[in-house]
Amino acid sequence: MGGATLFSVSDTLASVLLNGLGSIFPQPIHGWLTNPDLILGLAVLIFGAILLAASMINTIVLIWWERKLLGRFMDRRGAMHVGYAGLLQNFADGLKLFRKNTFRPRESDSLGFYAGPVAYMVTSLIIFGILPISSGWNSGALPLSLLLALAIFSFAPLFIFVSAWSSNNKYSLMGGMRSAAQMIAYEVPLLLAVVAVVVVSGSFDLATIVQEQQNYWFWGPLFLALVVFVAGMLAEMERIPFDLPEAEAELVEGWNTEYGGMLFAFFMLADYLRALVGSILVVLLFLGGWTMPGWVPSAATSFPLAGIVWFMVKTYAVFGLFVWIRASLPRVRTDQLLRIGWNRMIPLSLASVFLAAALVLVRCLPVFGCLPSPGV
Amino acid sequence: MSEMWLNMGPQHPMTHGLWNLRVKIDGEMILDCDPEMGYLHRGIEKISEDRHYNEVITLMDRCCYVAGLAWEHLYILAAEQALHVTPPERADYIRAMCDEFQRIASHLMWYAAFVQDLGLMSPFLYGMRDRDLVLDLFQSFTGARMTYEYQRVGGVRSDLPAGFTDRARKVLDWLDERYVEYDRLCLGSTIFRERCDDLGKLTARDCIATGVTGPMLRSAGLKRDLRKDRPYSIYKQLDFDVAVADAADVTARYLVRMEEMRQSSRMLRQILDWLDHHPGPVLADRLPRWLGAPYAPQGREGYLLKRNYPKGLGFSSVEEPHGEAQAYVVNEGGEHPYRVKFRSPVFANISAARHYLVGYHVADIPPIMGSVDVCVGEVDR
Repeated sequence: MGGATLFSVSDTLASVLLNGLGSIFPQPIHGWLTNPDLILGLAVLIFGAILLAASMINTIVLIWWERKLLGRFMDRRGAMHVGYAGLLQNFADGLKLFRKNTFRPRESDSLGFYAGPVAYMVTSLIIFGILPISSGWNSGALPLSLLLALAIFSFAPLFIFVSAWSSNNKYSLMGGMRSAAQMIAYEVPLLLAVVAVVVVSGSFDLATIVQEQQNYWFWGPLFLALVVFVAGMLAEMERIPFDLPEAEAELVEGWNTEYGGMLFAFFMLADYLRALVGSILVVLLFLGGWTMPGWVPSAATSFPLAGIVWFMVKTYAVFGLFVWIRASLPRVRTDQLLRIGWNRMIPLSLASVFLAAALVLVRCLPVFGCLPSPGV
Repeated sequence: MSEMWLNMGPQHPMTHGLWNLRVKIDGEMILDCDPEMGYLHRGIEKISEDRHYNEVITLMDRCCYVAGLAWEHLYILAAEQALHVTPPERADYIRAMCDEFQRIASHLMWYAAFVQDLGLMSPFLYGMRDRDLVLDLFQSFTGARMTYEYQRVGGVRSDLPAGFTDRARKVLDWLDERYVEYDRLCLGSTIFRERCDDLGKLTARDCIATGVTGPMLRSAGLKRDLRKDRPYSIYKQLDFDVAVADAADVTARYLVRMEEMRQSSRMLRQILDWLDHHPGPVLADRLPRWLGAPYAPQGREGYLLKRNYPKGLGFSSVEEPHGEAQAYVVNEGGEHPYRVKFRSPVFANISAARHYLVGYHVADIPPIMGSVDVCVGEVDR
């Protein structure tokens, strides 16, 4: 199965380009232009540009969504003045950061200081090339897309630590250490929770995992894995119960204390990019992705905007849950965080793997119905 | 990581003001600490020597910006004793009302800052929102939300506006419901209990040795409250309990402050009832004319010339929201106080930092210092 049944946006784009360019240009150029490899390369570039724009805009809207939700949780309104209901507030904030002077402490290490935020941002962006958003929005059928996405996702602590260390600031250093310790500690339960999904769906391909959820979503039978995954994601995203690396009460701003202007904006954007990736992964793995009960994508809806909208609604709802958690929980302490990670989360995630294995053996549950037959 | 000294302050989110906490850390452990104060020193005691008695009140509001009226009361009590002035009873009741409302406002401010230090974002705004209601009340009779300049030697500046007591009762009703909500948000949270229990221990013995007073002392199980032990103003007439807890940790301090707010509500209801039934003057009839020209009441000319006026000493101690504050005023017969001296409770509470910080984690500093309730304005004066 894998991504074979799926059809990718790049291919669609390529065929559109092929037909369009072929009709415009005369023969010699036409022959050169309609070289399928070139066209495919062009299509991938265009798709990349669309992805970049889409992920950026979504990230900025995500920040708006968080500000509005947080405002409501706190009995206020959030951003209100720039644009309708403050929709353009983040663009104004971004512009302000863009116009600021970027500076570097004299004693800091130039290479690490500048490369850190850029690498952090870039690795966060790359993941969007892998995530399928709908049955048509899929940059390529990768049989191991889930593993690849998580592998790139776990690059972050390295870059955070590099930029923290090169800042030559005690607060940054402590924040970087905490960040590295935390992300490594929570990587394990996160991956084990993913293993539960893989066991049930029988595939490492995100698109296949979503397809397997056509009949019913995994959040029900794999609830334990979902809880572990969400908690691990919170730690990976450094959001409030686990936001120690940038605990502003004691570490000022943690590992990005010394950053200002656009470099700070890079960190901020990358943080929310990762939050978006986290929410998308929750939707893909546990909430059925773009599938809707009683709705089967057909050829007529081969570029199904409905699927994308439905997917984004779910993603924003999941992020809303993260915001809710942020609005109502205090922050834990470093040692408590690590203790929760190693002592509670790992046994829980192991239990969820065993549960998934048992589920596959039993095949049918009276409550949730029968599992689909495993993939290849 | 090897040991290093870390400067937390003077510009740091944890300080809630302008002071520097130097901590010696090994990784995340605190080995030693050294609080440095003085960044906000404005020489209030020295400036006071150059001002009329009533003009010093302006400085008192700047002593502690979250408990201005309590500090006004403190100074006024000492100044009245030094100047041999007795205020009318209604003024005394209004001052006590100010004290208790100020205690609620100050504790709400503390609550907001404290939960923010723990990373709780929403209750921070709930605390600030509810504090605003108290500030609205202050605004209705003092005209200001922060620097009130309301109390005078010999009484208070003006009587309460019509319908004030009813509005005040409504605010109290609202607040009494909110305290339950606060408790649910904090005590009901496992993370909160995990972080605050057994944290920042300061035993009663250490409290006494280091001069720590106020909610911190009461959280160590010592039932000492100046309003009960050495009642000033009208506190003898009021029926209330002293909030005490035993654990001597951050949670205990939280519990004590919450209970104090409830007790303040209880006191305020009694005071408001009294104020409803006892109209009268709020400023003494006969005041020394030279007390301070800008604020001298119309038609109440002084009855004594300056050169005949008796000298005097005034001392007062008041249970301020942060602890026991003391004032000493020397009247040598001049237009200005000869000497003014204050004792700041927070100064002593911060100075004892080594006793309740060492041995804990760096991440524990904000909640512990938050539970101390730092107000730097009065520390440095």
